Amino acid sequence: MIFEKVVELIANELSVSKEEIKMETHLQNDLGADSLDAVELIMTVEEEFDLSIPDDLAQGLKTVGDIVRYLEANK
Amino acid sequence: MEIKPLKIGDLVAELPIIQGGMGVGISRSRLAAAVANEGGIGVISSAQIGYDEEDFNKNPLTANIRALKNHIIKAKKDAKKGIIGLNIMVALNNYEEYVKAAIEAGIDLIISGAGLPTGLPILVKNTKVKIAPIVSSLKACKTILKLWDRKYETTADLVVIEGPKAGGHLGFLLEDLENNNVELDQILVEVLEEVKQYESKYNKEIPVVVAGGIYTGTDIGKFMNLGASGVQMATRFIATYECDAHENYKQAFLNRTKDEIELVKSPVGMPGRAIVNKLVQTIKHEKVKVRKCYDCLKRDHCDRVNIPYCITNKLIEAAEGDVDNGLLFCGENAYRLKKIVSVKEIIDELKDEMLAY
Ligand SMILES: Cc1cc2nc3c(=O)[nH]c(=O)nc-3n(C[C@H](O)[C@H](O)[C@H](O)COP(=O)(O)O)c2cc1C
Repeated sequence: MIFEKVVELIANELSVSKEEIKMETHLQNDLGADSLDAVELIMTVEEEFDLSIPDDLAQGLKTVGDIVRYLEANK
Repeated sequence: MEIKPLKIGDLVAELPIIQGGMGVGISRSRLAAAVANEGGIGVISSAQIGYDEEDFNKNPLTANIRALKNHIIKAKKDAKKGIIGLNIMVALNNYEEYVKAAIEAGIDLIISGAGLPTGLPILVKNTKVKIAPIVSSLKACKTILKLWDRKYETTADLVVIEGPKAGGHLGFLLEDLENNNVELDQILVEVLEEVKQYESKYNKEIPVVVAGGIYTGTDIGKFMNLGASGVQMATRFIATYECDAHENYKQAFLNRTKDEIELVKSPVGMPGRAIVNKLVQTIKHEKVKVRKCYDCLKRDHCDRVNIPYCITNKLIEAAEGDVDNGLLFCGENAYRLKKIVSVKEIIDELKDEMLAY
């Protein structure tokens, strides 16, 4: 399941509990990620799912749902 | 101390001194060429560089691109064999267009901060142009080098660390600046360690230079002893004949006290440091109405509505000499500026001090 995997990566990367992470959770506003954390997280996602997300699209991935939907559409 | 040249790949600057890019209109071709002619590296700031072009208000992008190319060509010509760099902020719109224009015009080096320059390697691919990220923490350095390595299989040609005493926008939280939580020395030591793995992987040297509050040749000696390959200095070069700003602007920096330098908020979303004037007093309690949008910053930095003032407008006013209403960015050591001198005088003094160190 893509969602579960993404939750796990985010929980690890940002040191937050999995329960806090929902589809609508905003990485920066809700989980306190800064812009560097966001870039790191996208790199981890790329590695884990073995794909490359173009820069301009990556910058638009603001919520957990954004990432999950991107992966569903591009996997 | 013996004065060591700064080597960035095949570029060799006789002096380990980079003049930091200063926008808007503070470091253009004149200042950059003067520094390059003395053996340092002169850096032009791309920020609204065409502010005094006739068509700037109607079409800022076209005016800026044209002015950028002209200033690079002029600086390269005036500096003869000297090295000319471009400073460009990641937060700016049309980043790629500016970088491409600079490459076409013959730039040697691109230094880029105010965000992570994630896409810079593709833009310089197959050219000899060198690239350098500006970082303000080990974390930022790690992230950008890791990204460049993974995505583009390349690394930086130079790393610039900008510490808390710098001028312009600062890559720190306001509370960390106010509480003196960060030390440039410390970041330098960490970054030197971090670049090692990329130096060995790519089999090249990655010089690291430090910026922010560097004022004398003794300062330079101190940082080079810690392992820096050089320094980037900006504020000191404001008080020179060759600085590209209006005479009023330069005069406004002279004989200030420490109390007349404060941290200010900026629409870019990072704190900045500036000389206290009417503008700085005003924005403490009210917003300055934005009359025109130049579309300078990316939307996620500036929302055009809730900003305290328009950064482009206020920096242009300053460069044009309105020192009450304009924004006078400066480094923490700006209070040490006493008179306007030539770039050569500053460089000669720095050299003497380095030799004596
Ligand atoms: C007036 C002014 C404008 C600046 N503009 C820029 C800029 O456009 N882009 C940038 O990356 N840094 C900018 N800076 C930062 C400088 O390039 C430099 O790194 C820093 O000021 C170094 O510290 P110092 O001024 O104490 O020497 C600016 C600094 C000043 C004082």
